[in-house]
Amino acid sequence: MISLECDNLFSTWREQARWLLSHQVDPSQVSWGEVQAADLFATDEPIPPGLGPFQARIPKALLQLLESAACYHGDQRWSLLYEVLWRVSHGDRTAMLAGDKLGSELQRRIKQVSREAHHLHAFVRFIALPAGAGPQLPEYVAWHEPAHDILKSASEHFIGRMGRHRWMIATPLDGVYYDGEQLIHQRQCPEAWRQLAQNVEDPHSAMWLTYYSHIFNPARLNPKVMEGHLPSRFWKNLPEGKLIPGLISEARTGKQKDGQAKLVGARPGKKILSGHG
Amino acid sequence: MQLIEKLSILADAAKYDASCASSGAPKRSSEGKAGLGSTDGMGICHSYTPDGRCVSLLKVLLTNFCLYDCQYCVNRRSSDVPRARFSPEEVVTLTLDFYKRNCVSGLFLSSGIIRSADYTMEQLVRVAKLLREEHDFRGYIHLKTIPEADPALIAEAGRYADRLSVNIELPTDASLQTLAPEKQIVSIKQAMQTIYTGEQTVLNEPRAPRFAPAGQSTQMIVGADDTDDSTILHGAEALYGNFKLRRVYYSAFSPIPNSPKSVPLAAPPLMREHRLYQADFLLRSYGFSANELFTGPGHLALDIDPKLAWALEHREVFPLDLNRAEPTLIARIPGIGLRTTQRLVDLRRERKIRFEDLARMRCVLAKAKPFFITSDYHPQQADSTSVLLREQLRDRPQPQQMGLWG
Repeated sequence: MISLECDNLFSTWREQARWLLSHQVDPSQVSWGEVQAADLFATDEPIPPGLGPFQARIPKALLQLLESAACYHGDQRWSLLYEVLWRVSHGDRTAMLAGDKLGSELQRRIKQVSREAHHLHAFVRFIALPAGAGPQLPEYVAWHEPAHDILKSASEHFIGRMGRHRWMIATPLDGVYYDGEQLIHQRQCPEAWRQLAQNVEDPHSAMWLTYYSHIFNPARLNPKVMEGHLPSRFWKNLPEGKLIPGLISEARTGKQKDGQAKLVGARPGKKILSGHG
Repeated sequence: MQLIEKLSILADAAKYDASCASSGAPKRSSEGKAGLGSTDGMGICHSYTPDGRCVSLLKVLLTNFCLYDCQYCVNRRSSDVPRARFSPEEVVTLTLDFYKRNCVSGLFLSSGIIRSADYTMEQLVRVAKLLREEHDFRGYIHLKTIPEADPALIAEAGRYADRLSVNIELPTDASLQTLAPEKQIVSIKQAMQTIYTGEQTVLNEPRAPRFAPAGQSTQMIVGADDTDDSTILHGAEALYGNFKLRRVYYSAFSPIPNSPKSVPLAAPPLMREHRLYQADFLLRSYGFSANELFTGPGHLALDIDPKLAWALEHREVFPLDLNRAEPTLIARIPGIGLRTTQRLVDLRRERKIRFEDLARMRCVLAKAKPFFITSDYHPQQADSTSVLLREQLRDRPQPQQMGLWG
């Protein structure tokens, strides 16, 4: 049995997999430890140092699929990829297709990862630091808790979106900072970044909260559909998250009879008398 | 009036428009540039409200003062609602603030009709122009188009907006005359034609100034009058054909405060709206025609989806052999979508499709089971009558909490 450690880096895993494949090491003979910082090649079998004789031919698309699935946090994170690689390189392309047992799991992971990247694009909430905080600090900061390793690649989206502004996204694991010119990724989010993102005050959040509660139509209340699209694990980091339970219960206790928000109904109305004002 | 009060009134006034898409825009980026915003064709839903609808754009009216008296509209002139009006600069400020917070991907601006159609349209265009030219805003802009406005103003709107929309409002001319007497079907369709012509003019002309690159859409209110689904979907099909609309949005009529007697004061027909969207998707993406979905006047079934309804009426087509059938036919199997169809086609290039493969794909197996054959499976239900199958496959209504309508 060969036991490996790749430090959760795809590039390291790829080198290891290339070596294993060249020596025709069967997937049942290898495992990747996720936590123990073992020797790179801790094993009870003698291991030849160089590449072996087997030359695998794999479709180009496979590498991209594997790299994407590698971002998934879950059991057999790395050994599953090696099993797929093994089967495809031995002529069984079904291992990368939905329908096959292994292929379905691979595709499911890829889907989850891309969904999580989309969640980052959608649910990150930037808060502006006070004006004049200084050019060494970001102008906008966000705290986000992704379920998979998507921050580094998915955060590039904000470079196009935010123009020359400086911004930072901190997570429990890693962090990114865009200084106006380049994106800096830290695999271990620096404590200072974390502090900044988690402790920032947001004195101007009222506009967005007002918008959110007034664009909601209580006559169409459907919390189940909402939770399907906006999983509750995100609520705590969304400013509007704390409004949700109140809006639901208000709708259930009377506001459901028409679409108007309660506060708007409480204001004086105004008919427009002339058709030619 | 404070900006926040205006926002509460003018967001509340805008919620009845169902459209919120931010998709279809060309690739734009602000990397290394002054200004803000990007688009890449994909829409982003930045939040969801407890009605299950997505928040993708800042959707507001410029003003809810309105000269018209459309019966279904909360902002009609005889409605006793609070009124407000944004200045164009205020809308710009809100858009940029929400955009920087990453709460929205752009702006969807509409308006009540004030002074004249041209004046109102000018104001809408002015907001878009300010965003694009003064603030280098490259996010998504959707402008509602006032049908009676000068075509030159619509053309100007198309240069700044990604999407334009003219609301058809009601499915028939007669209903429009009854419920929205100031609106004319002729001018609505003329405005759609103006937008369509604008799109065609710049098509395949890479150097032409852009014109509403995300196309045009419209909205139809469902349930404010008694038009049937067949008329609605035939109407939608004609709009897709005549003006190449990207989307027809169906909006279940939602009861409004101080409801006039001419429209129902009842819970919005959400299931009906859902079935219309499903049928609309069959028209746009599955190659169905409205005539296939309806043999005559009438409504879509509420208890089964329209694809299942079609399959039950066309048992002679089924069961289909997944190892041989044309992909377009596979996609007509209930419970099997376009994505699963593609996956089946990919897999059958490598080997025979087996029953258990389906179980691992994201399809609704219970619904699909009577309608396909694999190398190791032939449906027992192939000989069941459609009546019996329908009884087995129909959606059972969820137990409902007693609402205000009980």
